[in-house]
Amino acid sequence: MATVAASPTYASHATGEKEGIMAWLTTTDHKKIGTLYLHTSLFFFIFGGLEAVLMRWQLMKPNMTVVTADQFNQLFTMHGTTMVFLAIMPLSAAFFNYLIPLQLGARDVAFPRLNAFSYWVYLFGGLFITIPIFGWMAPNGGWFAYAPLSGRTYSPGINMDFWVLGIQILGVSSLAAAFNFATTVINLRAPGMNLMRMPMFTWMSFVTQFLIILAFPVITIALVFLQFDRFFGTNFYQVSAGADPLLWQHLFWVFGHPEVYILILPAFGLVSEVLPTNSKKPLFGYPVMAYSGILIGFLGFGVWAHHMFAVGMGPIGDTVFSLTTMLIAIPTGVKIFNWIFTMWGGSIRFTAAMKFAIGLIALFTIGGISGISHSSPPSDLQQTDTYYIVAHFHYVLFGGAIMGIFSGIYHYFPKMYGRYMNETLGTWHFWLNFIAMNLTFFPMHFSGMLGMPRRIYTYDANQGWDTFNMISTAGAFLLMPATLIFIYNFFSSKKGGEPAPPNAWDAATLEWSIPSPPPEYNFAKIPVVHSRYPLWDLTHPERTKDVPHTDAGMVHTGEHDVVDMHIETETFTAKQLGIPMPSATIKPFWTALGMVIMFTGLLMMPHNKTAGYAGIGVGAAMLVGFLYAWLTTPLEEHH
Amino acid sequence: MRAADSAGRPIPSSVLSLGAQPLVSANAHAAPAHGGHEEHHHYTTTGLDSRKIAIWAFIGSECMLFASLISTYLIYKGRSIVGPFPHTAWTNPQTGQVMKPILNIPVTSASTFVLLMSSLAMVLALAAVENKDKPLPAGAGLGDRMLASSKLWLWATCLLGAGFLAFQAYEFTSFVHEGLTIKTNLFGSTFFTLTGFHGAHVTAGVIWLGTLLAIDYKRGLGPKDALNVDIAALYWHFVDVVWIAIFTLLYLIPD
Amino acid sequence: MTRNFRPRQLVRAALPALLLLAIAACGGNYPNSTFLPNTEFNRDLTATWNTMMFWGTIVFVVVEVILIVAIVRYRRRPGTPEPKHVHGNTLMEITWTVLPLVVLGIIAVPTVRYIWKYQAPAPADALKVQVIGHQWWWEFKYPQYNVSTANEVYLQAGRAVEFELRTVDVIHSFWIPALGGKRDLINNKTNILWFTPDSTGEQSFIGSCNEYCGDSHANMRFRAYTVNAANFESWARHQAANAVFPPPPPAATEAATAVPAANTGATQPAPAPAAAPSTGFEFPREQMGAHTLPSTPIPASLKFNEALLANGDATRGFETYSRSLCIGCHTIRGNPASRSPIGPDLTHLASRHTIAAGLFPNDAKHLAYWIKNAVAMKPGAKMQVVGKGEIDAVTKKPVAAGGLTDEQIADIVAYLRTLK
Repeated sequence: MATVAASPTYASHATGEKEGIMAWLTTTDHKKIGTLYLHTSLFFFIFGGLEAVLMRWQLMKPNMTVVTADQFNQLFTMHGTTMVFLAIMPLSAAFFNYLIPLQLGARDVAFPRLNAFSYWVYLFGGLFITIPIFGWMAPNGGWFAYAPLSGRTYSPGINMDFWVLGIQILGVSSLAAAFNFATTVINLRAPGMNLMRMPMFTWMSFVTQFLIILAFPVITIALVFLQFDRFFGTNFYQVSAGADPLLWQHLFWVFGHPEVYILILPAFGLVSEVLPTNSKKPLFGYPVMAYSGILIGFLGFGVWAHHMFAVGMGPIGDTVFSLTTMLIAIPTGVKIFNWIFTMWGGSIRFTAAMKFAIGLIALFTIGGISGISHSSPPSDLQQTDTYYIVAHFHYVLFGGAIMGIFSGIYHYFPKMYGRYMNETLGTWHFWLNFIAMNLTFFPMHFSGMLGMPRRIYTYDANQGWDTFNMISTAGAFLLMPATLIFIYNFFSSKKGGEPAPPNAWDAATLEWSIPSPPPEYNFAKIPVVHSRYPLWDLTHPERTKDVPHTDAGMVHTGEHDVVDMHIETETFTAKQLGIPMPSATIKPFWTALGMVIMFTGLLMMPHNKTAGYAGIGVGAAMLVGFLYAWLTTPLEEHH
Repeated sequence: MRAADSAGRPIPSSVLSLGAQPLVSANAHAAPAHGGHEEHHHYTTTGLDSRKIAIWAFIGSECMLFASLISTYLIYKGRSIVGPFPHTAWTNPQTGQVMKPILNIPVTSASTFVLLMSSLAMVLALAAVENKDKPLPAGAGLGDRMLASSKLWLWATCLLGAGFLAFQAYEFTSFVHEGLTIKTNLFGSTFFTLTGFHGAHVTAGVIWLGTLLAIDYKRGLGPKDALNVDIAALYWHFVDVVWIAIFTLLYLIPD
Repeated sequence: MTRNFRPRQLVRAALPALLLLAIAACGGNYPNSTFLPNTEFNRDLTATWNTMMFWGTIVFVVVEVILIVAIVRYRRRPGTPEPKHVHGNTLMEITWTVLPLVVLGIIAVPTVRYIWKYQAPAPADALKVQVIGHQWWWEFKYPQYNVSTANEVYLQAGRAVEFELRTVDVIHSFWIPALGGKRDLINNKTNILWFTPDSTGEQSFIGSCNEYCGDSHANMRFRAYTVNAANFESWARHQAANAVFPPPPPAATEAATAVPAANTGATQPAPAPAAAPSTGFEFPREQMGAHTLPSTPIPASLKFNEALLANGDATRGFETYSRSLCIGCHTIRGNPASRSPIGPDLTHLASRHTIAAGLFPNDAKHLAYWIKNAVAMKPGAKMQVVGKGEIDAVTKKPVAAGGLTDEQIADIVAYLRTLK
C-alpha cells in the first residue's frame, strides 16, 4: 500500500502532467478551466466597467469633452459587447465549468478537451475584439450593430469588422461549451440523480445551454450575412438592392432576447443555492422553480419583437409581442416569491453571499417592474432608446446577473480555494456596491422619462437632465472603490483567507461532500443520490424528510460499483487511486489559436490581400492539423 | 477539513478498491490510434455514449441555423429589384433580351434523387458495420456479400454525396454564366448563401465519411465502431432532410 | 477589529442623495418630460403609466416588505432553533401566479386599446409633414404647402399632424418627448406617426434622433414650434416662396407672393424668382424656451476672425456662394446656381433659430465657424470643410484650392443672413 503526501492544492497530477504555465495551457480539468474563465472574465468585467466610468465622466455635465464622439461611440459599443459576451456570459461559464460536474457527481464534463477549446476560443476572441480600443479602432456601431449603419457603406472602417468577426468567434466558444454542458447534464449525473433532484443551479444552467444551442445559430447567420455584405458585397442588408434592414433586427433579437435569459438564469441558479443553504431550509417550491426556469426559456423565444415596438410593425404584431412579454413576467415573479419564502421561517445567516443574493431579489424586482412598463407598446414608445431602458436593464443585469454572480463567487470561493473570503470586506463590498449601483442607475429612470435619449455622447444644457446625470456619474465613480475592495478580497483571500472545511456553509449538495479544493478526480467514489439534498440527508435528515426519496435498491447502477452518499475529506491523486483522467493536451489551445488566426486573416483581406491570405492559410492549416491530431489521440491514457 | 491534514497517512484500501471506475465519459474517437485498445465501459446516466447526445444537440442547433437561412430566403422571395429571377422571366438590362427563369428544376430533381439515394447507402453502410461480426449465411450470393460490405456502401455514400456536389457546382457555374452571382440581387445573395451553406455541410459530410472509409481500409470497421458510423449517419441524414426542405421551398414552390 | 462603523451605515450617507433625487424629481423644470399633457397621446400614456406605477408600487412594496420582514424576523441569532422545513405550498404558489396575472390583465386592457387607437389612420384634415432623416439632420417637407425646410418643424396648435417618416441613409428615430411617442425612420418603408398638439398654445419643443445612427447621433436634434392657425399660414406661405436677392424693399413685396403650384421644394427647377413676403411669421426668439436655445460651445481649436463679420458684404457673398462648393449640396430656391438636394434647404435659412441640427444658434458668428469647418463643429458632419487651410475630413490634408478665406466666409454669412 502506498504512502502518499496528499497535495493541498490541485496542481495537475494527470497523466502527461505539466508544471507552471504549461499546466494551465494544457489543462483539461473542468475546475482549472473554470478558474481560467473566472479570472479572464473578471478582467473583462473590470475593463468594461472602466469603459462605463469613462462614459459617465463624459456625461457628468452638459457639453463635456472628456472623449470625442467617435471615442464615446466605441466606448458604449464595447461596454455592451464586453459586459454581455466577455464578462457575464463567461462568468456564468466559470460556474458551469466549476460546478456542474461537481453538483452532478461527475469526474469531469462530457468532453474535457472541447471544454479547453471553448475557453481558449473565448480568450482569443475576447482579445481580438478588445485590443482595438487601445488604438481607438474599436467597433463603433453599437453592440446591436443595426443595419444598414453596420454595413460597409456607413461603417467603412475596420472597426465593425472586429465586431462582426469577434462575435462570430465568441459564438463558436459559446456553442461548443453549450453542447458540452447540455450533454454533461443529460449523461453524467450520479446514479439516483434524476432531473428533479438536480441542484437548482445545474437546472438553470441546463436551461441556459438549450437557449444557447437554439439562439446562437440565429446570430451566427445574421453575422454571416453582415460579414458577406461587408466582405463580399452581398445584398442582405443592402437597402439599395431592396433589402429590409429589419431583417437584421429580427434575427438579432431572436438571438438577443434569449440572450438576456442566458445572462440571468445562471445567476438565478446561484442564488437558488445560496438562499436555502444560508436559511437552513430547502428551496421553497423546487418543482415550480425548475418549471418556471423552463417556461422563461421557452417564452424567451417568443418575445423578441418587444425590442422593436418603434419600428412600426403594425397593431397586430405589437399586440402579440406585448402580451407574450407580459406573460414572461409571471414565471419570473414566481421565482422572486419562492426565494423570499425560502427565507421565510428560516434561520438566516448573513454571509456576504447571502447579502448579494438578497440584493438580487430586491433589485431584480425593480428591473422587473420597469420591464412591465415597456411591455406596453404605446408606453414603450416614450421609453425605448432612452435612459429609462438603460436603467431597466442595468437593474436586471447589474442588480440581477452581477449581484447573483458576486453571490456565487463569495459562496463558492471556499470550494475553489479551500479558504473563505473575508466577510468584513465582503460586507463593505456589498453595501458600497448596492448603494453605488442604485445611485448610478436609479436616476436614469428619471432622465429617461424626462426625454434623454440613449447613446448620446453629449447633451445640451437646460434640458432638465443635469442633476440626474451628475448623480449617476457620482454613483459610477463610487462603483470603482466597491469593485476594488472585491478584487483585493478575492486575491488576498486565496493565500490568507480563513481555511474552510469541505462543507464550508453546511450546504446540501454533492459539491460540498468532497475536499476543498476538490481533487482532480472530484469524487473518489461516486455517490448514489436519494433525494434533492443528498448531503443534508446525511447531516440534517430532519430538513429533508418531506422531500421524495428513493432507497438504494431502486437506483439502477448497472454493474457499477457505486457507494452510498458519503463525505470525502481526503485528497489523493488520480494516479494513486487508479482513476483514469483526461490527459493534459495543448492541442485545443493551438486549434483555437488557428481558428482566431484564420479570422484575423479575413479581417486583413480588405486592407492587405497578402497578409489576409497568409493569415487564412496559416490559421486554417493550424486548425485542421491540430484538430486532426486532437481527434486521433485518445482522451485518456490507459493504465 | 482540508486535504493537507491528511498528509502522510496511507490511503484506505476501500478508496483504492472503489475508485477505479472510469466515470468520465470518453469522447476519444475510435480513430486508428485508439482502435487497438481495450474498450472502457463508461457509465452514463442514459446508457448512451455522450457523443450520441451531443450530436443530437448539435443537430438541434443546426436546425435553427438552417431555419434562419431558409426564413431569410422566404422573406426576400420576390423582392429582388433586378433579375435574374428564380421562377419568372426577366429582361437582361444590357441586351434587352428576355430570359427564362433561372432555376433548372429537372436537373435539381436529379441531384435531389442522388442525395436521397446516398441516405439509403448510408443506412446500408451502418448496417454492414453493425453486422460485421456475423458470418455470412451459407451459400451467400453476391447480393448478400454486397450488403455486408461496409466499404462498398461507404464508397457509394461518398460518391453520391460528391455527385450531388458536382450537380451543385454545375448549377452555380451556369447561374454565374447567366448573370446571377451572390452580388447580383437579393435572390442571388440568399440563394447562394443558403445552398452554399448546405453544400458546405455536404462537403464536410463527404470528408467525414472519407475518414471512416480510410479507417475501414486501414483496420476494418466493426461493431465497436458502430457508434462512430452511427453519428456520421445521423449527420448525413440530417443534411439530406434539410435539402428536402430547401428543394421544396426554393425550387418547387413558385413565387 | 473595530466595529464602530458598519458598512450598512453607508445607507445613511446615501439617504441625502436619495433626498436630492426626490427633490430634483419633484421640483425641477422638465421641458422634455414625456408626461407633459400636450397631446392626447401623452395624457393617455401618463394615465397608463400611473396605472402601471400604482400596481408596480404595490408589487414593489409587497415584495420588499415581505423580504425585509423575512430577513429581519428570521435572522439567525444564538440559540435559534432549527427551522420548520417547508418545501412549498401549492396554494401560495398558485396565488402568486394568479395575482400578477390579474395585474397584468389590468395593464393589458389599456395597452391593447392604445396600440390600436394610435395606429389608426390620422384625421383626413391632418397637417402632413414628410420627415426625411439624414446623417445627422432632419429634412421637413409640407406637401400641402410646398414647403421644404430643415431642423425646425412648425406645427399648428390644435390641428392633427401626420408625419411620414423616411430615411435616406441609416435608421433614425423621430421623437418629440413632450408631444408623443417616437417612431423609427426605416429604409424602404414609410412609417406614420400622428398626434394632435391640442393644448400647447404657442410653444417651442426639443426633438431628437432616438436610434443610434453614427458619429453625431447625439447632435441630431430639431426644434418643433406649435403656432396658431394664422401664424402657421403666414409662416408656410412665406417659406413656400422663393428667396429673392437682393431683397426687395419691404413695400414692394406684398403683391408678389403667389406660390407656384408646381413648387416642390428642393427638386424644383428654379423658375423666375417670385418675391418672398418679408413678413412671414417666425417663432419669436424671446418666446423660445430656455431648453430650445442651444449652448454647444465652439471648439477652442477652431479660429475665425470675428471682426470681419461686421464688414461682410451680401452681394459679394452671393457671388462667392454661387461659385463655391456650397452649391454642390444646397438648394436656395431663387438662386439658380444652388439647386442640389443633398444638404438642408437654405432658402429661408435666416428664418430659422438654429443651425447644424440644433447644435448652435443661427447667428452670424456661429454660421461663420460652421461654414469654415463643419466637421470640427459637429463630429462626422457630412458637410465639406471649406475654410482655407482647415484640415479636410476625408483627405486629411489642408484645404487649398476652392477653400474660402475668412473674408469670403464673412461675405457668405452676410448673404445667408438675408435669406429671411
